[in-house]
Amino acid sequence: MPSSRTIAPEIQYASLAQQGETAQIGMWVFLVNETLFFGALIFTYFLYRLSYPSEFAVAAKDAVLWCGSTNLVLLLTSSLTMVLAINAAAQGRRSEMVAWLIATLALGFLFLGFKGYEYFEDVRDKVVPGLNFEMKPGEAPAGELFWVFYWVATGLHAVHLSIGIGLILYMLLWRIRRGEITPTYYAPLEVVAIYWSFVDAVWLFLYPCIYLVGRS
Amino acid sequence: MLLMAGMSLLTAFLRMGVWAPVLEFTIAALQVAILFILFMRLKGPPSLRWVFAASGFFWLLFLYGLSMTDYATRHSWPTQRVEIENPRD
Repeated sequence: MPSSRTIAPEIQYASLAQQGETAQIGMWVFLVNETLFFGALIFTYFLYRLSYPSEFAVAAKDAVLWCGSTNLVLLLTSSLTMVLAINAAAQGRRSEMVAWLIATLALGFLFLGFKGYEYFEDVRDKVVPGLNFEMKPGEAPAGELFWVFYWVATGLHAVHLSIGIGLILYMLLWRIRRGEITPTYYAPLEVVAIYWSFVDAVWLFLYPCIYLVGRS
Repeated sequence: MLLMAGMSLLTAFLRMGVWAPVLEFTIAALQVAILFILFMRLKGPPSLRWVFAASGFFWLLFLYGLSMTDYATRHSWPTQRVEIENPRD
C-alpha cells in the first residue's frame, strides 16, 4: 500500500494547483444549486409558518429536541474533524489524516443513528403524514404541514449526509489507500470537506425551523 | 460555534415572542458565515470561489425577494387567525 506517489495533472491542466482550484470551484458551482434547492424548501416553510403560526408552534412541540440538538453538536464537531484531516493532509501526516477522517465518519454514522432513533419515535408518536398521522388534542389540520416539511427536509438532509459518508469512504478506501492524496495534491479531500460542511450548514438552518418552534 | 448553538437553544425557552425566531435565525446565519469562511475555506485563494458563493447568495435573495413581492402584497396574507391553546402546556 503506497503512502504517497507522484501525481501528474490531467492532460487539460497546466499544473496540479490549477486542477485542484478547478475541482474546488466545480464543487462551489454545485453548492450554488444546492443552496437554491434547500433555500426554496425553507422558503415554503416560512410561508406556511407565517400563515399558520399557532398550528406550527403546537405541532413542533412533538419534535424530539434532544435528538436534534445532539445531532447539531455532532455535525459541528464533524466539520472540525474534517478541517483537521485537511490540515494533516497538507502537512503530510498521513496516519493523522486517516484518524480524523475516521472520526468524521463515526460522527456522521452517529448522526444517522440518532436520526433513525428519532424517526422511530416519530412513527410511534404517529406524526407521519400519509402513513400514520394522528391529530392530537389542541392541534389543527395545518399542523400536518409542519410534519410534511419535517420529513421532506430531514429526509433530504439525511440523503445528502449519506452521500458525504460515501465520499469519505471513497477517500479512505480508494484515493488515500492508493497514495493519491499527498501534501502537494489533496484537492479531492478538500472538495469532500466543502460538501460536508455545506451539509452541516443546512442542518444549522433546519435546527431552528424544526426543533426550536413553540418551545417558550 | 457550540456556544452559539447553546445560545440559540436558550432563546427558544425564553419568552421573547416574535424576537425568538429572529434571534435564532440570526445566530444560524452567523454560524453558517463562520462555517463558509473558515471551515469551507472561502477565505484565501482561489478568489473565484467568492464569485460563486456570492452568486448563490444573490440568487437566493432573488428567489426570496421576488416570491415575497407576491405574498407581501396579498391583502389576506398572512390571514388573521384565532390563537389555539395547547392543552399539553
